Amino acid sequence: MTVLKTSMRNFLAHKGRMALSAIAVLLSVAFVCGTLVFTDTMNTTFDKLFASTAADVTVSPKGSDPGDPSKTGRPETLPAALVAKAAGAQGVEQAAGSVVSTSVTVVNAGNENMGSSTGAPTIAVGWSDRELKTMAIASGHAPRGPTEVMVDADTAGKHHLKIGDELRTIAVTGDFRARISGIADFKVTNPGATIVYFDMPTAQRELLGTTGVFTNIDITAKPGFTDDQVKRNVDTALGAGTLKLQTAKEAADSGREDIGAFLDVMKYAMLGFAGIAFLVGIFLIFNTFSMLVAQRTREIGLMRAIGADRKQVNRSVLVEAFLLGVVGSLLGVGAGVGLAVGLMKLMGQMGMNLSTDDLTVLWTTPVVGIVLGVVVTVVSAYIPARRAGKVSPMAALRDAGTPADRKAGWLRGGLGAVLTAAGGGALLLAGQADKAAEGSLWLGLGIVLSLIGFIVIGPLLAGAVVKVLSGVVLRPFGAVGRLAERNALRNPRRTGATGAALMIGLALVACLSVVGSSMVASATAELDRSVGADFIVQPAGGAPVPLVPQAQQAVQKTAGLDHVTAYRIVEAKLTTPDGRTSGESLSVTDPTYPQDVRRKMVAGEHAAAYGKDAMAVGEGFAKEHGVKVGSPVKVAFQDGRTASLKVTAITSDEGSLDKGAIYVSTATARQYVPADKLPAPFMLLAKAEDGRADAAYAEMKTALAKYPQYKALNQADYKQTLKDQVGQLLNMVYGLLALAIIVAVLGVVNTLALSVVERTREIGLMRAIGLSRRQLRRMIRLESVVIALFGALLGLGLGMGWGATAQKLLALEGLNVLEIPWGTILTVFVGSAFVGLFAALVPAFRAGRMNVLNAIASE
Amino acid sequence: MTTAVTIPRHGGTGGRTAVAARARQVVKAYGTGETRVVALDHVDVDIMRGQFTAIMGPSGSGKSTLMHCLAGLDTVTGGQIHIDDTEITGLKDKKLTQLRRDRIGFIFQAFNLLPTLNALENITLPMDIAGRRPDREWLDRVVETVGLAGRLKHRPTQLSGGQQQRVAVARALAARPEIIFGDEPTGNLDSRAGAEVLGFLRRSVDELGQTIVMVTHDPVAASYADRVLYLADGRIVDEMFNPTADQVLDRMKDFDARGRTS
Repeated sequence: MTVLKTSMRNFLAHKGRMALSAIAVLLSVAFVCGTLVFTDTMNTTFDKLFASTAADVTVSPKGSDPGDPSKTGRPETLPAALVAKAAGAQGVEQAAGSVVSTSVTVVNAGNENMGSSTGAPTIAVGWSDRELKTMAIASGHAPRGPTEVMVDADTAGKHHLKIGDELRTIAVTGDFRARISGIADFKVTNPGATIVYFDMPTAQRELLGTTGVFTNIDITAKPGFTDDQVKRNVDTALGAGTLKLQTAKEAADSGREDIGAFLDVMKYAMLGFAGIAFLVGIFLIFNTFSMLVAQRTREIGLMRAIGADRKQVNRSVLVEAFLLGVVGSLLGVGAGVGLAVGLMKLMGQMGMNLSTDDLTVLWTTPVVGIVLGVVVTVVSAYIPARRAGKVSPMAALRDAGTPADRKAGWLRGGLGAVLTAAGGGALLLAGQADKAAEGSLWLGLGIVLSLIGFIVIGPLLAGAVVKVLSGVVLRPFGAVGRLAERNALRNPRRTGATGAALMIGLALVACLSVVGSSMVASATAELDRSVGADFIVQPAGGAPVPLVPQAQQAVQKTAGLDHVTAYRIVEAKLTTPDGRTSGESLSVTDPTYPQDVRRKMVAGEHAAAYGKDAMAVGEGFAKEHGVKVGSPVKVAFQDGRTASLKVTAITSDEGSLDKGAIYVSTATARQYVPADKLPAPFMLLAKAEDGRADAAYAEMKTALAKYPQYKALNQADYKQTLKDQVGQLLNMVYGLLALAIIVAVLGVVNTLALSVVERTREIGLMRAIGLSRRQLRRMIRLESVVIALFGALLGLGLGMGWGATAQKLLALEGLNVLEIPWGTILTVFVGSAFVGLFAALVPAFRAGRMNVLNAIASE
Repeated sequence: MTTAVTIPRHGGTGGRTAVAARARQVVKAYGTGETRVVALDHVDVDIMRGQFTAIMGPSGSGKSTLMHCLAGLDTVTGGQIHIDDTEITGLKDKKLTQLRRDRIGFIFQAFNLLPTLNALENITLPMDIAGRRPDREWLDRVVETVGLAGRLKHRPTQLSGGQQQRVAVARALAARPEIIFGDEPTGNLDSRAGAEVLGFLRRSVDELGQTIVMVTHDPVAASYADRVLYLADGRIVDEMFNPTADQVLDRMKDFDARGRTS
């Protein structure tokens, strides 16, 4: 009981010194809980959406997937006659045909895309009163006739649409215009899809190309029949197994599976970053307790002298850690919910609506948060607590002065060296691995081992590195610089741990920046080497949409073009002479393709692949199946017939562009695949006539202005886009790593603040013999800068090593140019000096305000 | 002792008054109203240049406070203090710090040295802070005087208590301050080490012309001084010139007895 009481008193007495540790716990726990609440809320939103939109049983053509717009851009259909048949099945209250297409783009009069930029689809639907289940007409009326369209209120609000405005809908079947007749509100939360309604005949004609067909049949079950019973009955009535039937639950489940997979990726990625923050927090908490124990050495000695045993002392420290963990985690859970709400608002800004009504806090969320927070805190304090237990009763009698670490032992040095060497070895192996799976295993092992190695050896490195850094950075500051250097060197373990916390975050930054810029450099080099096309036309981002023929024509009409090549992916099953059959994606292009993309050949000419019934395969495929030039391959086209094609060329596996692609000409594919089943191109490549590139580019852009879902890029802009995309991705990751870096900076603040308290008497002495306030503050700032630079140096070095290894490993995947972004690295390094300055602001200010006499008099 | 006779300082910077520090009607009070405690009660004192002055008095007499005020470590409630011609009462922190750095030396009872610096670095610290180069010759002489030549590269933890205080004395002397203030500089030392340190202080007055003010409650320590001031209840109650330890002890006993009977 006494133990608990002393712990409580100590905890309360030192709450200021614990504050930063508590914030570290709070931040990490908040991030974990925020992630969980946010993803759970997203799940709730989508569950509600799917549950409310699905009919009791939905009939759709086999192989259609509402989450994945058909590659042809033309939805799969069912004949209207099936509706009556389904209605006749037992237990069916009502059967009604519906038309839904996600392969459309809707633009306003200014050719602005009304679709979401977040990847949510644009959905065109044939209006029926059944839609009133989820929608309410807020103004105007439902669409009637071929010239009316109703739009959802979110979209109308976002794009300032009003009744009477004209919208153009772009589908594979053509463009058509309609005026807004009404605006409909969602009854449930719509996370971001754009929805337009047409009357049923218009939807059939314009989206499906013909009346008399539907994309789905929605079936309502009679009371007394379960959805499963009705599903069975309808299936039998429509010809068992020929169609795809889903109950409301199955539809919701499959919808959730699609979205859930995406949400899981996001969740685990964010939890990963929270984990890194926790890892960094461990150092902070460890340092706090080490310093508290050191400062309390005499007190602990006294307790030991009057009879407290080791266990009691040990426990008293752990109880303090426990209290810290509880307080930090509780606050963290609260902050986590706030964070989730903030994130939802942010998503709202980006066009993804989430309602706080759906805010989902499962009971597991606070439990996970608190358990995690408390366990991490107590584990972090374990070693300092043990050290407290080892304090001898004699410590009460000794003049403790300012404690200094014992010299880091040979054991630590040896262990660190072994770990680092093992990590380096693993990285080396990873760089030389010729199988990606094996290599990434070595890479992972190398990263973990070298990180731990650096952490262990950190205090030893601190001595050398700080001396070198001080020699360069602190030299101009004379005596004050020297004092700062000595202070940073005084407790190598403390400096090591503080620096290591910063090291972790910065190592990841450095590693990712190396991989990112290597990616851009490799892609650019590859483009320069193999791409002959001047322009590429591809989807502009957001939801994937097929290239509609009218856009293709617009590109083709551009003056000054030498040729335009369409690139389609067609699925097929290939049977090679060795008797094996495998599913492959064919690259179906025009004979002009070899001018657009230069491929190195192992055998035959690339151009030969575009003859009638000819094809080219990759080196790897050829080797695996024993295929040579002249070998016959049976190609069973999906949704088409089986052809016997002859291999006329084999491409080399060098280079990353189109590596291993199987080439077939569009003409050949058309022979075996019906026109309405042939997938739409996913990109166009074009080459200008000599000297007309600039004019053609401008004209092509103008021509495509009508189709904002695509964009045309020349090589320079394409490279820039690539760079921007990688940059955006990196920025997002840096943003998430910022959490870990913030915790590390708190660690620097913490170390300095506690050091200042610890060195009260020294500071008093120095002030007495003439150190000015300004010099004192500068001394603390410089110490902070040196610690930060130490962490940065280690982190950047480690991270660049990881990045370079990852690049070597990924060279197998085409990442064959190593580019170290020195600009970024240097910025981070210099930035950490400023971070150091910033971290020292408050501790330096407080040290400066210390009363000289009190400082001298203090125990 | 209030007569200001101009005598050239030993070593001769010349032109200075014989009084190194002067306090006039100095009051130091803590708290207000009912809880007001007066630590210094209208104290007048002149510290003579080139003299070794000891301040004695029972605990709570205000002797440490007087020293802190004279040295510019503490502020006064009323009155004026001059170091040489500079009035330090009312000086801002920046000026005070500079004054302490350039014109005053300190020797505290304990914790005189920075553990991160070696003996030599500790000795030159005030000059390093000021960005001045130490006078090599003078430094050698000081180091030799205090007998530390062989230990200059040692860290404080590697030195005995006596050696540490000698380093502190050397630091105080090295910058050639106008006055050195000692706050029980031998309080933590055994009598032999204490005698050594006091010997150095005495020699620095005799041979180097240093002005020293030392607070102590040890009659033996006080006997090294040229002049002993007795403080009681924040007032200077007596003084004595060139005393022996026995004389000091007698006087102290006197005060004690008086204190008890009164």
